[in-house]
Parts: sequence; structure tokens; C-alpha cells
Amino acid sequence: MKKGLTVDKVDLAFGGVGALCGVGLELKEPQILGVIGPNGAGKTCLINCISGFYRPQKGHIFWQGQEITKMPPHKIAQIGIARTFQNIALYHGLSVLDNLMAARHVLMKQNMFTDAIFFGWARREEIEHRRRVEEIIDFLEIEGIRKKIVGSLPYGQRKRVDLGRALALEPKILLLDEPMAGMNVDEKEDIARFIIDVFEFLKIPIILVEHDMGVVMDICDRLIVLEFGNKIAEGNPEEIKSNPKVIAAYLGAGEER
Amino acid sequence: MTVADTIPKLLLENDKKYGNKKIAMRKKEFGIWNEYSWKNCYERVKYFCLGLVSLGFGKGDKAAIIGDNDPQWFWGEWAAQAAGGVAVGLFVDSILSEVEYILKHCEAKFVIAKDQEQVDKILKLKDCLPQLLKVIYWESKGLWKYEESLILSWDKVEKLGRKYEETHPGVFEEMIHTVKPDDIAFITYTSGTTGLPKGAVHSHKTAILCSQNQLKLYPWYSNDDYLSYLSPAWIGEQCLGMVAGLKVAAVVNFPEEPETVTENIKEIGPRFLLFNPRMWENMASTVRAKMLDAGLIQKFFYHLCLPVGYKAINFQIEGTKTPILWKLLCKIADFVVFRCLRDRLGLSRLRFGITGGGPLSPDCFRFFRAIGVPLVQEFGLSELLPVTGHPKGFDLDSIGHVAPGAEIKIGDNNEILIRGEGLFLGYYKNPEETERACAGGWFHTGDAGNFDGQGRLIYWDRVKDLVELSSGVKFPPQHIEGKLKFSPYIKDCMAMGGKERAYVAAIIAIDFEVCGRWAEGHSLPYTTIIDLSQKDQICELIKKEINAVNRTLPEAQQVKKFVNLYKEFDPDEAELTRTRKLRRSFMEERYKGLVEALYSDQGEYAIEAPFVYRDGRTGVVKTVMKVNSV
Repeated sequence: MKKGLTVDKVDLAFGGVGALCGVGLELKEPQILGVIGPNGAGKTCLINCISGFYRPQKGHIFWQGQEITKMPPHKIAQIGIARTFQNIALYHGLSVLDNLMAARHVLMKQNMFTDAIFFGWARREEIEHRRRVEEIIDFLEIEGIRKKIVGSLPYGQRKRVDLGRALALEPKILLLDEPMAGMNVDEKEDIARFIIDVFEFLKIPIILVEHDMGVVMDICDRLIVLEFGNKIAEGNPEEIKSNPKVIAAYLGAGEER
Repeated sequence: MTVADTIPKLLLENDKKYGNKKIAMRKKEFGIWNEYSWKNCYERVKYFCLGLVSLGFGKGDKAAIIGDNDPQWFWGEWAAQAAGGVAVGLFVDSILSEVEYILKHCEAKFVIAKDQEQVDKILKLKDCLPQLLKVIYWESKGLWKYEESLILSWDKVEKLGRKYEETHPGVFEEMIHTVKPDDIAFITYTSGTTGLPKGAVHSHKTAILCSQNQLKLYPWYSNDDYLSYLSPAWIGEQCLGMVAGLKVAAVVNFPEEPETVTENIKEIGPRFLLFNPRMWENMASTVRAKMLDAGLIQKFFYHLCLPVGYKAINFQIEGTKTPILWKLLCKIADFVVFRCLRDRLGLSRLRFGITGGGPLSPDCFRFFRAIGVPLVQEFGLSELLPVTGHPKGFDLDSIGHVAPGAEIKIGDNNEILIRGEGLFLGYYKNPEETERACAGGWFHTGDAGNFDGQGRLIYWDRVKDLVELSSGVKFPPQHIEGKLKFSPYIKDCMAMGGKERAYVAAIIAIDFEVCGRWAEGHSLPYTTIIDLSQKDQICELIKKEINAVNRTLPEAQQVKKFVNLYKEFDPDEAELTRTRKLRRSFMEERYKGLVEALYSDQGEYAIEAPFVYRDGRTGVVKTVMKVNSV
């Protein structure tokens, strides 16, 4: 069986507009892969393709040797591909705790009726899931907002809960879509630390789409650069920094660190 | 009462007496309150202590502890003391230079740190701490990948301890019995409102005496729930939570995280609380802010009943008998509103809520008393605790009667001089300072005050902090600040005057959260605190608050001009001490130009101020602040 994630020459177009043109990537061992590029380069489209929200017209995506190109998103979530959303997808009327518990729904084996009786297996399962959720709450240091309604939380904390929701799926690979968008320096540092902690603790591959070059260069092992749906470069942060194509396309000629 | 004369012996006794039958501590983890019996505690201390010994910790050695309040903080200290060593507490949010100074000064051999954040601090300093043997952490998150021979997990130390016991059975009990009452138990570094921190040394004997007197002042009983929130690096928590808790075998509860403390209070319903004035003030302004958002019915009853509470406590303050009508009204108000309010705050079972570590504004005090919270004040020092308190009845002008075990005399310049059986041994490695502070057998507090006719001590201010105006009138800045801070919109402030200055002026730090909510409620758009604080509407709002305070002050002491600072006061920038006391002279120096603008006709003042992130990087803020007249 092939290991890891393989994206093979994926094409995605909306009407006549090409969003991705033959983009490919390989992610075999656990590492943090950064995806960067200017606005509209197709970064989020790539994540959406992998997580099944978009269906590419051409090309194939494999996870652990299994083709997932045409799988529906909930199936993809079940096989361990978890993601966060750029504009946060949580239940706004539920508490943080309930949001995280809801995320574990795909892992629960009991049905509505046994849960209603809440005895024996159903009870044990619920407790086990709650234990895991509490570990995630501890991990992300959101104890203080455990029982708060998500809709009442500030943006930075919602982003953190969104990450918690992805972790609650027991991911085997994590796709993070701009987890630091719209945050201040302190909040960014916090999230960067959590991403590194997640990586070190779970030892899973992470794909990180991010605009903040400082963060990306700091925490990613490898980077791919997109521009107008094309992959224009791939390599470690050092190589990317000195790649003339990248400098021209994104970093602006000769000014980035 | 027990006869154990050292802290480890107290622990040993509690283990023998209660063992597994009684809970000693509770800590909320993963959303569940975990309980530790006295036997659990004793064993954790025992093996941790033996682990320390096997790593080279010996008699007289110092172990510094830094972290949030957790059972491990307490166990770590007891373990160090059981081995004949000394515990040195550090505040969690201490910056690098403070940590460095204290660790160097006390020559700590071991540092017991909570988590990655604290461990990182120590590791940054390791090159200038040659005597440091190990850094032990009790929360491993984020530390898995550290390849550093200096650090070690708490569990590993306990394992080492178990191994050590196999080869040295009974050594722990032996060690406990060789610790003498006159051995040093802990050093608390004073917050340093005056220059570099000084380490006040307490022996087992003085610590136990202080706690005993504390228990005489505000009695506790076995099984009383206590919530440990303030850092044990501070003498108050040392004597209350740690030693007095051991002495009466109370249940010490630890909040899940510092941020969750208000929820945790609700869950525990403590019998006993020790908070600093800021916490109480926060609680009071939270109630007020929440009432602004409350429904009409709640608002109606709240505003109907609160004046009843105030009226009733006025009788108590004046010392007259409460008329039966008011007693009855008060009972009704209590039933309708106050009972529920106390329950919401988690204070319904409270026997004593102590405020210590600084002055609490009288308004805040009155508020809690009015809603039936038994809030009492205590005046104590790192050098001697307690000095005064209000065990029975209360008043707002004084800081209370002389506490058991303490003696007070008023010296030159109205300075308060104290002595007592629990008085500290001296400042660590600073004989000159000790000599000066304890000249003539009395400890010179540097605080000014006097006794009133009924033997109550009235606190003025620091001797050097009473401020004179050009008219010759003296005013107490802290008192005015306390009154101002009771406004929900004002988070911090500094009142100023001086011999060349004709009136009192104030620098205000608005409460960003509350003012922000107010702005939202009044459709006022804003971006940051820099922007919000200078809005005309906010200046008007603050002016109204100041006017209300001015009405309660004599004409000569009223605040005439103020400015809303573009940020909140920050201990990281040394504007406040770690116990959040204002560092006045530093502030006056730092905002020199701004202060001058307050005493001129300038309508606004442009500032360009450097600021420092917690990791040491710096930045610059440029903004214009409005100078407002009242």
C-alpha cells in the first residue's frame, strides 16, 4: 500500500476560469508542508479538492493508496483527513464542548436509541469521547471557554476551537486553511506554537495554507508555491527564499527576508 | 491544636491522623475535580523529596518554584522543606530580568517550574546560573522534544525517589525529624515597589506563628474549602493556603487555569478566600457590567434592592443600631436579589473573604458588604503577617484593630512601626537593609498612619507617597485612585500632584472591554484601545465618572484634569509591580511630558512611546492624547 497523500496533476476550473492546472504534490512522511501564493492562486481550492468539497475535472488524489478524488467530504473525514476552514465552520449556537463532541460524531458507533437510554456501551463510549475532547481542550488551553457559546467568542478563540474541532476527528493528516488570518502577533504566535505541538505530539503530516511569510518560513519543513493555479516552485524554505520565480511572483523583487 | 513545630512535621501528622480518610486538595483537570487525600499528598511529597535528595539536594539548599497554583507547587515546597532546604517562590509572570536576579541572589540549586513557558525562561538563563543542577517541570506539554540534560519531569524525580527509598529505607522520616523550627523555611521576595526585590526570610517557627495568629484573627476549621488563587510566592498565600491549611487540615482547591477561577469558585463554593483588591474590584465591576446588559426585570430589582443594602450597612458603619424596619427590608432584599447574586458569584458559603496585599477602595468594600458578602480587610507584610484586621464589625476608614501576636507603634513622620512573634529573621544576604528596617527592635514599615480614638489603625499611604499641593494641602493619591477605579469604565489610574502644582490631575487607563461594550451599545465605531480611549464620547463618559467621585472629595483634593492613556497599565513594562501596585515615580518619569501637559493649557499631547513584548522585542507607538478638564 502506498503511504501518505498523493495529488496527481489535478485540474479544476469554474466555467472558463482555471483554478488549478495540473497541480501535484506528494506528502509521505510526517512533515509540515506550507502552501503559499498570492490571492487567488488556488491554495484553498487545493485544500477543498483534497477534502472533497470540490471535485477536480482531471487528475487523481490518493490517500494511503486509496483513491479519494470522488469521495464525498464526510467519507473523507472518516478516513482521517481533517481540515480547518478559512472562515470558520462551527455551530454558532452550540457551546465549545458540544462543537468538539459533535466533531467526534463520525467516530461514534452507537445509534440514537442506545444513546437515548444511555446505558452500558453508550455510556462508556460517551465518557471515552468526552475524555478525548477534554484532552484537546487542555491541549489548546481553552478551558476557560469550555461552556461558552461559540457565537459569543472573539475571532481568535473561534479559530482555536476550529482547530480543536479538526483535532477531535483523530486526524491522520491535517489541512489548515489560513489558521492565522486576521490575527495579531500574539495570537499568531500562540497558534504557531499549537501547530508545532500538534505536529510533534501526533506526528502526522500537516498542510498549512498561510499568508504570513514569517510564520510559514519558520515552521514549515517544505513549501510549494502556487500562482494562477500553477505550481511554480517546491522546496525547503531556504530554496524558496532564493528562487527567482517566487521572488518575482510573490515576495516582491528582492525585499523579503 | 497540634504541637508539630515545623512544616514537614505538620504534614506528617496530618498523614497519620487522616491518611486516606480525608481530602487535602482538589485540582480540576480535564474538566473533572480530582481529589488528593492526605496520604496521597504525603507520598507525593515523600518521593519527590527523596528524588531531589538523590539528585543532590541537601540541607540549606534553595529550590525555586515558578508556576500557577497547583498541588505540585505545594508539594514541591514541602519536599524542599522536608529535606531541610528552603523554598523560594517566583511569580508566574515575572520577566526574565526579575527571575535572573532572584535565582542568582538566592543561589537556587533546583528550579521547579510548571510548563514550557517557565522552563524556557530558566533555560535562557542557564549560562549565568552555575549553581543550578536541574530544572523540574510538572506539565510536559510542548517539552517532549527538548534535548536538554538540565530538565527533568516531575514523575521521573518521583521514580528516582522510589528507587532511593529502596536503598535508604526510612530516611525521609529521619530527615523530617532533623529539621529544626529555627531552620529557614522559605524566602519571599518583596514585590519591590522600592528598588530591587528583597528576600524576607521566614523560619518554620515564624511561619507557623504567623499562621497561628492568622487563624486567631480569622478562624478556619477542618474541612473548610479554600480556593488557592494568589501566588504562593507571596506571603499571604504562604501563611494561609500553605501553612494554615496544613494546620487545620482544610481542603485546598486549585482552579483549572487562572482564567477559569470565577467559574471554579462557583463550583467549589469556598468557605474562605484570599484575593487581592484587584480581584475583588474585578468581581464588583463584572457584576456592574453584567447588570448593564441584564433584562429589565433583573435591572429593576437590582436597582431597587441595592440601595437597601447600602442603607443597612451605613448603620453598621456608623455604629448605630439598625432599626427593625431596615432589618426587615434588608431580609427581603437579601431574599430577592442578594442571595441569588452571591450564589452567582459562588460566594454564598463564604465565611470570610479576605482582601490583602493593597488597599481596596471603600466603594468596592461597601458594595460587597451591601450584598451580604463577609468581606474583611487584612493588613500584613512580607515581614510580618497579620498586622491588623477586622474580625468583628467593620468600618471603611481604618484598616482595623491590631491583630493577635502583633504590636504597633507610631514613630517619626507618622510611620507605622511593628513587631511581633512572627516577625521575619531578616532580609536574605542583605544585613544593612535588615539593620535599617529593624532599628531599635521595631520593623519600620515605611507606611504612614495613626490610631483613632477606638484603637483602630488608619492607613494614610506610604510615608513618601503623601503628596502636597502648592496650596499646602496634602492628599492621598491611592485613596482617590481607589474611588476612581470603582467605575466599571476605569481599569487603572494614577492621581498626581506636587508642591509646584495647584491641583490634582489623573492619568486614566480605560477598561477596554467595558468601554468597548459601551461603545457598541452607543453605535460608536472604534478600532483599538488607542482609538477608543481618545473618542470624545468616551472622554465625556470618563469625565462623568470623575465628577461623581469629585463630589465625594473635599474641594482641594478634587481631580481637575485628566487624560485617557492610550493603553492599559502593564506590569511587563514595569508600570505596575507584580502584585499590581502602581509604580508612581517610574510612571511620572515615563510620562513626564504628559504630566507637564496636564499642568499646562495644552489641549492635547502627542506621544511616541517605546514598548517591549514579553520576549524582549521592542516597538514604538505614536499617538495623540486629549487633555480633558473637569
